[in-house]
Amino acid sequence: MSDLAPFWRDVLSDLNRQPMAATIDPLDLRSTDFARCHAVRLSSVDDYRLFAYFSAPDGSGPHPAILHASGYASVVQVPSYEERRTYASLAMCARGQRLSDRPYAAAFPGLLTDRIEDPGRSPLRGIVADNIRAVEFLSGQSEVDPDRIVVVGSDMALFATALAPGIRAAVVADPLLVNLGTLAHTVHDYPHEEINDYLRAFPDREETVRASLEIFDPSRLSDRIAARVLLSCGPPGSYFDRGRAETLARRIPRAEIYERTGRGYLDRIAIERWIAEAIAA
Amino acid sequence: MRGRRKSRIIGPVTGPHPSTHGTAVHRPADFEAFWDETLAILASSPVDVHFEHDRLRSTPEVDVYDVHYTSYQNVRIAAWYCRPAGARGALPAIIHVPGYVSEPAIPKGSARDGFAALSLAPRGKLRSHGQFNPGYPGLLTENIVDHRTYGYRGFYCDAIRAMDVIFTRPEIDPGRVAVAGSSQGGALALLVAAMRPETRCAVVGAPYLTGMIDAIALTHSYPYQEINDYLRQFPERRESAARTLAYYDLINFAPRIVCPVLINIGLRDDVCPPETGYAVFDALRCPKELHPYEDCAHDAGGQWHGAVSRAFLSRHLRGPT
Repeated sequence: MSDLAPFWRDVLSDLNRQPMAATIDPLDLRSTDFARCHAVRLSSVDDYRLFAYFSAPDGSGPHPAILHASGYASVVQVPSYEERRTYASLAMCARGQRLSDRPYAAAFPGLLTDRIEDPGRSPLRGIVADNIRAVEFLSGQSEVDPDRIVVVGSDMALFATALAPGIRAAVVADPLLVNLGTLAHTVHDYPHEEINDYLRAFPDREETVRASLEIFDPSRLSDRIAARVLLSCGPPGSYFDRGRAETLARRIPRAEIYERTGRGYLDRIAIERWIAEAIAA
Repeated sequence: MRGRRKSRIIGPVTGPHPSTHGTAVHRPADFEAFWDETLAILASSPVDVHFEHDRLRSTPEVDVYDVHYTSYQNVRIAAWYCRPAGARGALPAIIHVPGYVSEPAIPKGSARDGFAALSLAPRGKLRSHGQFNPGYPGLLTENIVDHRTYGYRGFYCDAIRAMDVIFTRPEIDPGRVAVAGSSQGGALALLVAAMRPETRCAVVGAPYLTGMIDAIALTHSYPYQEINDYLRQFPERRESAARTLAYYDLINFAPRIVCPVLINIGLRDDVCPPETGYAVFDALRCPKELHPYEDCAHDAGGQWHGAVSRAFLSRHLRGPT
C-alpha cells in the first residue's frame, strides 16, 4: 500500500479534529411499518453541518448496512423502501446538495469546476470528508453491524472505501473523476463538459486544473482499498465502459466487473445479489 | 382499479401483463374550466423573457443562452437555450422538460444535431427556487389536498409557457417545435402537447403523473412513495388528495393531444409502473407509437430507444412543414 498523499492526510487530520456532534431525530413521515427513518445532522470539516437520512429495520439488530455515498446531483433520495426491509441505510447529503446547502449551495453544472484550480479550496475536498464522516457515523450506530457495511455510489464510494476503515464491500458505478483530466475532452456531455467549458474559458489554467484533478482522482488511492469492489460499467461507447473498468480493476486488489445489460431490472437484481453475497461471505 | 399486491414489480412477473392494466381516472366535471382559468391566470403575467448569451458554456459549434421568464403568479423561471452557432433561419426546435429530481441539462447535444433547444427548470428546481421551494421529496405532496393551490399548478404552467418562450426566437420555425422528456419529463411532454396545439410531436419516456392513484398501489418507489408516506401520516386526507390528483393526471389531458406521440416504457419499471404507461397510451386519440421494453426498469430501454426517438424527431421536424 502506498503512503497517503499529504493532501489526504491533512483532510483526515482535519476531520479527526472536527467533532461529529451528531443529532438523530425521528422522521415519521419517511418511516414505514417495518423501518424507522431518522433525520441525521452531523458536522464535517470546516465545521460544516450536513444532513442525512438514516433508516434501520425494526427488530433485533445489528443489521447489515448500506451507505449511499453522495453523487453528482443536487437531490439525495430517501433510501428505497425495499432496501430498508433488510438493511440499515444511510443516504448522505454532502455539502452543496439539497438539505446540506447552507452555507454552500452547489450549482449543477458548476460544482465540478468550482475553485478547481485550488484543490485546497475546491468543494470536492470537503465532499470527500463528508462521505468518510458518513462511514464513521454508520459504524457507530447500535443498529448497524460495523463489519457488514457496503458503500454504494460512484467516485465518493471509491474515496470512502479507500480512506475510511472497515468497509466490507463497495459497488461503484460510472466514476466521473477517474482519469477525468485526460478523458474530459473526449466527452461532450455534462458533467464532463464542465471541464471543457472551463478550460476553453481559461486555457492558461490547464496545467493547474489537471494537477488538481489528479488529486481528486480516486483511482490514485485504489491500492488502499481492502474491500471487495464491484465496478458497474456501461455499454461500449459509454465513458465508463468495460475497457475503462478493466483498467481501474487492475489497480484495485479485489475488484470485479459487472457490465450492465441496459435492462435495469436485471441489472438491479444482479447487483442486489452481489451485495447480499458480499455481506454473507 | 383491480386489486393488486404492492411492489408486484419486485420479483418475477407472475400476474397479468401490464397492458391489461384496468387503470382509470375520474375526470372532474370542471376539469376544462379549471385549466381554462389556470391558463387565463398564466396569461395575465407577461412572459418577460430574457436571453443572456453564456460565454462560458458556448462553444464554436453551439451558442448557449441563460434564459429567464415569468410564469404563473409571477414566478421567475430559468432555462437553458442552445442553437447551432450563429444559426439563422427556420430551425426546428425541441423543448426539453426535466425529470423529478434531476436538474435540467444544457441541451448542447440537440444543438449539435441541428435543432434549437430549450431546457427548462420549472419552479422548485435549483435555478428557479427563489419563490417556490417545496424540496425533493416534497413537490408531489405540496398542498395536495387542494387542487387550486397544489404545487404542480404553477409547475405545469411553467412547462406550458415554454412554448411562448421559444416562439420569441426569430431563428426557430414555429411550425416545427417538438417536446421531449422522460419520467416527469414524459408527463410534462404530454402536458405541453395537450395544452399547446402548436406542438408538432412529443417524445415521451416512462411517463410519470399518469394513473397516479393506481400507481401508488403498484409501487413503493419514490417519488410516488411520497404520496404513500403522506397518506400514512394523514389517512383522512386520502379522498381530497385523490380529488386533487385527478386534475393533474395526464390520462385526463391525453384526449386533447392531436400531434403524433412516441412513448417508451420499461415493463419492470418500479418508479412509473408500466400499467400506467399503457393507460395513458390507451387514452391518446392522436397518432401514437408505444415501445415497451422487456426486463427494463425506469431506464425504459434507453440504451436502444435513443435511436428510435432520434428517427421520430427527424421524421416530424425535418420533413416538409
